[in-house]
Amino acid sequence: MARTVAAHAWRASTPEAIELDLAALWRQIGHGEAAIARAVMSNLVVFRKHMDVPDAELTRVTANLPLDEVAARHPSRLIVLEHSYDQAAPGAPFAAGVGIVTFGPPQARYGVEQIVVRSACAEQSLPSILRRLVRGDVPTTVWWTEDLSERPPLDALITIGRQLLYDSRGWRDVRRGVAALAPLVASRRVDLADLNWRRLAPLRQALIYARGPLDSASWQDAEVRVLHGPGEAPLAWLLAGWLHAGRRNADTSIARVEPSPGDGPRLTVVTGDMTAIQTKRTVEITSGSAPPLVLAMPIESDADAVAAELRVLSRDASLDAALDALMRVYN
Amino acid sequence: MTIVIFGGAGDLARRKLLPALYNLHVDGLLPPRIVIAGVGRKPMSDDEYRAFAKAGVAKFSRRPIDEATWAIFAEALFFVTAGLDDEPGLAPLGTRLGTIEHERGLNGDRIYYLAVPPTLFAPTVKELARARLVERGSGRIARLIVEKPIGRDLESARAINDAIAEVFDEKDIYRIDHYLGKETVQNILVMRFANSIFEPLFNKRYVDHVQITVAEEEGVGTRAGYYEQAGALRDMVQNHLLQLLAMVAMEPPHSLEADVVRDERLEVLQSLRPIEGASVDAQVVRAQYAAGFIVGRPVPGYREEPNVNPQSRTETFVALQIYIDNWRWAGVPFFLRTGKRLPKRASQISVHLKEVPPILFNANPSARLDANVLSIRIQPDEGFSLGICSKVPGPQVRIYPVKMDFHYGSTFGGTSPEAYERLLLDVMAGDPTLFMRRDAVETAWQWVMPILDHWAQTQDSLPTYPAGDWGPPEAERLIESTGRRWLAP
Repeated sequence: MARTVAAHAWRASTPEAIELDLAALWRQIGHGEAAIARAVMSNLVVFRKHMDVPDAELTRVTANLPLDEVAARHPSRLIVLEHSYDQAAPGAPFAAGVGIVTFGPPQARYGVEQIVVRSACAEQSLPSILRRLVRGDVPTTVWWTEDLSERPPLDALITIGRQLLYDSRGWRDVRRGVAALAPLVASRRVDLADLNWRRLAPLRQALIYARGPLDSASWQDAEVRVLHGPGEAPLAWLLAGWLHAGRRNADTSIARVEPSPGDGPRLTVVTGDMTAIQTKRTVEITSGSAPPLVLAMPIESDADAVAAELRVLSRDASLDAALDALMRVYN
Repeated sequence: MTIVIFGGAGDLARRKLLPALYNLHVDGLLPPRIVIAGVGRKPMSDDEYRAFAKAGVAKFSRRPIDEATWAIFAEALFFVTAGLDDEPGLAPLGTRLGTIEHERGLNGDRIYYLAVPPTLFAPTVKELARARLVERGSGRIARLIVEKPIGRDLESARAINDAIAEVFDEKDIYRIDHYLGKETVQNILVMRFANSIFEPLFNKRYVDHVQITVAEEEGVGTRAGYYEQAGALRDMVQNHLLQLLAMVAMEPPHSLEADVVRDERLEVLQSLRPIEGASVDAQVVRAQYAAGFIVGRPVPGYREEPNVNPQSRTETFVALQIYIDNWRWAGVPFFLRTGKRLPKRASQISVHLKEVPPILFNANPSARLDANVLSIRIQPDEGFSLGICSKVPGPQVRIYPVKMDFHYGSTFGGTSPEAYERLLLDVMAGDPTLFMRRDAVETAWQWVMPILDHWAQTQDSLPTYPAGDWGPPEAERLIESTGRRWLAP
């Protein structure tokens, strides 16, 4: 697929007139000489808390999110819901805008729909907005761009989707973040997809390669320390949860998680004579006299990661198990 | 040609008929000599009627008004004050029409459009005959258009049809179901019979089930007086949904002649397995909307709406599991649902093909592949799509359901003609293909009656659903008990 945005068409709308205005935009760009195909493989609902942006500049609520890049990789009907928690008297949604971003050369153009709704509704009314906007014939993902550890996701919203996508890297409090997800892990109502969890994949793979499966004898009573660099505590705890969930002996204590001294690497895992270090670029494992094992970290942008998760249509049992283990430890 | 609209100053004329006629005029599709005469009880001058029409067109036409084009169109508009109760009846209407037609060089060919409540169908037709506005064997065209509902049960439908048949021949009666005039509904036949890929699959061998959803976002609004007596089964299923069902399930007609196509649609209705007695409780769910939210705004429940009985048992939602007992569709369930105050206004037919066998890519019981679904979007996002499984690029074999999507808006640009444009044009051309014949109307009523009769004898509590939701849990259970799920539009 072409990765270059050819054009943006945008118009202000109202929550009630979104579909009409989108239809008008399609007619407008469909009038050109070359045909344009509508591309939609899923609904991507992006949740953002209220931003200080005037209604007339509603497109700015998507700032700092790689939405065009995601659309280029996995064309989705994008529905950005910017919600204000703090309205003294919650009312109806009060602004909306619709757009079509087009990609590709003139002879093979395709367009992706983008909708922004600014809401100040009561929480229980939010599903009525999304039910109206999502297409029923494609999967729906809710991308929670806010810190789940600061405020749990709105239950009424996330169950609209099949998948809840989030990034635990920005969590300020891992314990609260895990607690926010506990009901979803227990009920299995939605599939969880954590962008941070993807960053662990090479290290998890390397640890199993170097020392065997987690339920093997080599892991059972081993003491494990996980040191993390600045801002990587959630990653370290996810790794600890994963190790704990995989070990057969339920009485084994969970890995000790602590910050690295100074500006250390992203993660360092120490157990027995083995040390594993994950940096931004590599995972390196040294163990006794064996030659070091070095794996390259995949080069993946945020947009690549989001698009990859959107294509996953099943639960990630390992992530669920890691979160479940952390919940048990925290409780 | 003269088009006489009874109820010419009413809501249907303002919202649909006059904008449709204006658009036909813009497209150059109206006859060069035409008169459009609105008829109503309240006095109104021709100029006042033209202003009324212009306001309606300005608000509801798919195109903005072009002043020069409008000026020519407006010259064809007239208003005649007439009532059925007065002694002269419609005689003054005949006199006025005669004068206008004479002045404009028309020969007296007329279309009478009854945009009035169904209770006035029979009296109006009777008065047309008494005033000698319609005379068999006169050599002039005299066609009648009537809107649904044709009756509120089989008996009243027959009574209306009998009364009309005393004055008009069946070939001159055009019973409108505006769904049949929609581009996307007409495209069902084109899609099925102008492509070789779909029709071989449309049968019990390949189709697992079919869903038809006609969802309305609006509540009962100002129609409580009518709706309280009707309900969703009468208002939507007996006509629109059964006609959509007939279009998607009919056999290939041997020609496109009106009666050949209508015969095939009728065959489907005649093949519907009756739902009677205890089967009604098992195969039909009815419900009423309670207070909820639409696009974030709180809305009242049905019983709190103006002019609705606070104890009303009128259903605003119906879901049905239907079988067509013919060779093609034996054993294939058709799930129909319609309701008010659903999350969005949308009409969709989805044909769900059978799953591939549970081997190869579909071997994992916890991650079954999506079956192929052909979705026909009737409105508002007109088009159709076919869901197919495709490999996600990469070293692993991962499968994702992708869409082959045909979208009118981005493919053809411009706006599709409104259903009423096509239907009015067909009446002028004398083509009744997209209209309901008497036998089809009465067959549909005949099939619906056992359900209505059963409900009339049942005092079970009526399920409710919050406004803005996709119906009650009972409707989910209806389809989920068969191992399937509703596909939201």
